[in-house]
Amino acid sequence: MRKKRIHHEVKKEGLILTSIVDIALALVIGFIVALPFFFETGIFVSQPSVTKAAPGRETDVKVNILLTNDGNIVLNDERIISKESLTTLLPKLLARSVSKRVIVSSEEKVRYDDVVQILDLAKQSGAANLCLLRQRKK
Amino acid sequence: MKNKAVIDILPLACVGLLLVVMMIMTAPMVMSHNNTPVNVPQTNTAERKVEEDIIITLTKEGALYLNDQPINRSELEEKLEDLVDRDQYCLVVVRADKDVFHKEVLDLLAIAKQAGATRIACATKKKKG
Repeated sequence: MRKKRIHHEVKKEGLILTSIVDIALALVIGFIVALPFFFETGIFVSQPSVTKAAPGRETDVKVNILLTNDGNIVLNDERIISKESLTTLLPKLLARSVSKRVIVSSEEKVRYDDVVQILDLAKQSGAANLCLLRQRKK
Repeated sequence: MKNKAVIDILPLACVGLLLVVMMIMTAPMVMSHNNTPVNVPQTNTAERKVEEDIIITLTKEGALYLNDQPINRSELEEKLEDLVDRDQYCLVVVRADKDVFHKEVLDLLAIAKQAGATRIACATKKKKG
């Protein structure tokens, strides 16, 4: 009579992959969510393309801001104001303006950061169009 | 007892995980041209952009880069014109250091405008808090 073979059943212990797959999935989701933050943000500006403005009567409230080399802010070619008063004045002016356009120009030695801060302030105050004006050489 | 064939998916999962990690690390470098270190101004209002665009970088030292490739001013105009010709509605982003003179940024904006760009933006970082 043949001997019966005794099989010792060895339970194979498998690795639980659920956690690894979970981590991979979490990384993918994290990556998808975080991707837009890698990109920088910005302010859209438009530069006037005409060299000579067409003559005509302007009835809209204008907001022209000039930054001078010595750090002064000149509003509408008239008066020097501080940044604090510009913060309060700008929303009032823009509320009355139809085009809601703010034109920012600067003298030669003005830092880029100072101009961007004014653009930022204008945008916060409700400006719809931001224009950078290049001053004509004297 | 019959031997049950089991596919070992552990190496597959490992490779998959490795690929994900590699993708996470390389994607920001491949997809953006913001790798030239520049201290851009910080603002409260900023619009996020998620599109492929042309990036002009101006460092504090005055070095110019087009899509992270060093370039001089005369070459910039030509190359920019080529790039804008390919896609007229592409976004041209000027990444200038906050300490440069605004006049220099205006020059770059003028070059972009002359090259035919219709959409121009200045890169800023959103203020924290």
